[in-house]
Amino acid sequence: MENKEKTFVEDIERTLYDIRNEERAAYKSRQGLTEQVVRDISSRKDDPEWMLERRLEALAVYDTLALPSWGPDLSSLNMEEIVAYVKPDAKMAGRWEDVPEDIRATFDRLGIPEAEETSLAGVGAQYDSEVVYHSIQESLVRQGVIYTDMETALREHEQLVREHFMKLVPPKDHKFAALHGAVWSGGSFVYVPEGVQVEIPLQSYFRLNAPGAGQFEHTLIILEKNSSLHFIEGCSAPKYNVTNLHAGCVELFVGEGARLRYSTIENWSRNMMNLNTKRALVEKDGLIEWVSGSFGSRVSMLYPCSILHGENARCEFTGVTFASKGQNLDTGASVIHAAHYTSANISTRTISKAGGQAVYRSAVKVTPHAHHIKCSVNCESLMLDDISRSDTLPVMDIQGDEAAVGHEATIGRISEEAVFYLMCRGISEDEARAMIVRGFVEPIAKELPLEYAVEMNNLINIELEGTMG
Amino acid sequence: MAEKIYSEIPMRTWRWLGVNEARGEETVDLPSQDVRVAAGEVRELTVAYRQEGQSSLRARVEAGGMLKLTTVQLVPGSGFFGGDIEIYLAEGARLEASAVEAGAGQSISRMRVYLQGDGAQASVYVLYFGDGDRRLDMNYIMVQEGKNTEAKLYVHGALLGQADKIFRGTLDFRRGAKGSRGYEKEQAVVLSGKVRNRSVPLMLSAEEAVEGHHAVSIGKIDDSKLFYLMSRGLDLTEARRLVVEAAFNPVLDRIEAEELRQELQTYIKERLADA
Repeated sequence: MENKEKTFVEDIERTLYDIRNEERAAYKSRQGLTEQVVRDISSRKDDPEWMLERRLEALAVYDTLALPSWGPDLSSLNMEEIVAYVKPDAKMAGRWEDVPEDIRATFDRLGIPEAEETSLAGVGAQYDSEVVYHSIQESLVRQGVIYTDMETALREHEQLVREHFMKLVPPKDHKFAALHGAVWSGGSFVYVPEGVQVEIPLQSYFRLNAPGAGQFEHTLIILEKNSSLHFIEGCSAPKYNVTNLHAGCVELFVGEGARLRYSTIENWSRNMMNLNTKRALVEKDGLIEWVSGSFGSRVSMLYPCSILHGENARCEFTGVTFASKGQNLDTGASVIHAAHYTSANISTRTISKAGGQAVYRSAVKVTPHAHHIKCSVNCESLMLDDISRSDTLPVMDIQGDEAAVGHEATIGRISEEAVFYLMCRGISEDEARAMIVRGFVEPIAKELPLEYAVEMNNLINIELEGTMG
Repeated sequence: MAEKIYSEIPMRTWRWLGVNEARGEETVDLPSQDVRVAAGEVRELTVAYRQEGQSSLRARVEAGGMLKLTTVQLVPGSGFFGGDIEIYLAEGARLEASAVEAGAGQSISRMRVYLQGDGAQASVYVLYFGDGDRRLDMNYIMVQEGKNTEAKLYVHGALLGQADKIFRGTLDFRRGAKGSRGYEKEQAVVLSGKVRNRSVPLMLSAEEAVEGHHAVSIGKIDDSKLFYLMSRGLDLTEARRLVVEAAFNPVLDRIEAEELRQELQTYIKERLADA
């Protein structure tokens, strides 16, 4: 019998992301999490008194909460070894020329300044715990759009921040939300006034360079009535042999009739614990669109949640997760239908290979008395070998009789019939299989901005040798 | 009496959903059954539960054997019933099971089917019916270990009154279960605005060469079906009853004991009329 080699589906090419800069911090907090560390961060950031109080309250909550009793094993995470705050030796700049050379070179390699020139209306770049660059097109400023780092927002728009900060994700939500509330630093703030359409996307990029550090950026976006925005978030880090932790928090307020698209390409290094929390509150006739690509991290727990709070609010979630060797990527989405005529559509694809574990986890909840609800969930999983795992765990919790909820999931490998069909039309077996894998993620790729779609196709690079079966 | 955990989900999730475990008060043990179906033998077994308590049934089907199992839970009143069924299938063994959950104030049932041998097959049809303030908790787990196994889990349910139901259905493809297929489908009809309906269709896989599919559909009765029936002279109650009965037929038709089937049909008809 012919000895067939398995096609090697290339791991995500990481060279670009793995270039480390020499660690040159202006300040690092002590390892571990204590009241002194929290007070120290707050003092260095010149927080208003109410923010310090909230940090300390969050710390108290953190101490009372246990690690989640479900999901990936987090026992290797030792908070005593994590440095919560690393201030880079750079001030926030409005021109790339003013960003220190080594940091600027990092963002150059990641293509951020180039993208800013060609396809973005504003850029924020965070390096370790602080934002080092922020810009926004003048035309948007004239329309009243605010796009700045969280610290500036806290100074210049304090009331707005105070009203919204950690209102959707309270520290009591879970242990890492409490951790975030205590030590958050950096992140982006966006405010789009009523009726303003931001036609060109804004992008924030988060880079964690320091080994053994945590990144706890906070993203707060407020869209007023009938406004619209596309916000892109990217994240990466070089690989170290110590655990890094990312426990960011994203809070999105989508006003009446507003539309927000929130796209993320997560490509953290394989020593990262990515325990991120994202939540959107959508008012009447509003729309939240999540586009989420999870490729990096050793462990991920990420389930963007949409609270459909106003009548006719809608949610579209499109996600792809690619788990390879040593990765346990537990991703998914949740939707809460809290008003009449709300609808949601969740569509995900997961791929697992080389011993990677991909978990799709979701929750759909329909609250009592919400009527004329529609929700559709679709999850497809592709396994590329027999040493990997793929699990799906959706939950539907429906109260009342006026909800139509459907869920569908499939799991399997590449269809031999499909390969045969393509080969009958003159395509080689290897190329046929490669086409099928690309086709599998195509529904997601088409939702991504072009440069990210190209990146994702590169990430899923099939070497044309042997067969996959 | 003290509360205890009767069964747990094979993979835990958010606690706020309340689906990780099935809890109930400790109760009296009913006689347990241990069944062995010899190689090549075909055995029919029908069990009707009409008494409060906790029951267990364990069956082992040897190579090429077949078990036709029908379990019907019709415990009267508001009492508690806990059922635990565990079945092991050897090479080429088959299980055809029909399970009806229709009685008791609170019921917690678990069925675990282990398709251990190559080519083992299991078809499990479940019917649940919740009315009043009944609480139903079901946990069906199909573990596919052998090569070329096939598991089917088809679930039909109707909920009315203030019923509170959880259905967990798991297809678990273990490493080595090459060529195996698993299908799970739950269709729930909701007939009251006060119902709570939780569905958890899990699919776990450690093997690439498998084909798994699960689907859940939850909703009220299709208005066009009601309209069709009412335009032919049926009133709303009758039309609803007919639609629900039709949804249950795939399960009821598999119950070969004529008397039991008729008893169930009458029971469901009366409950629907009362609602």
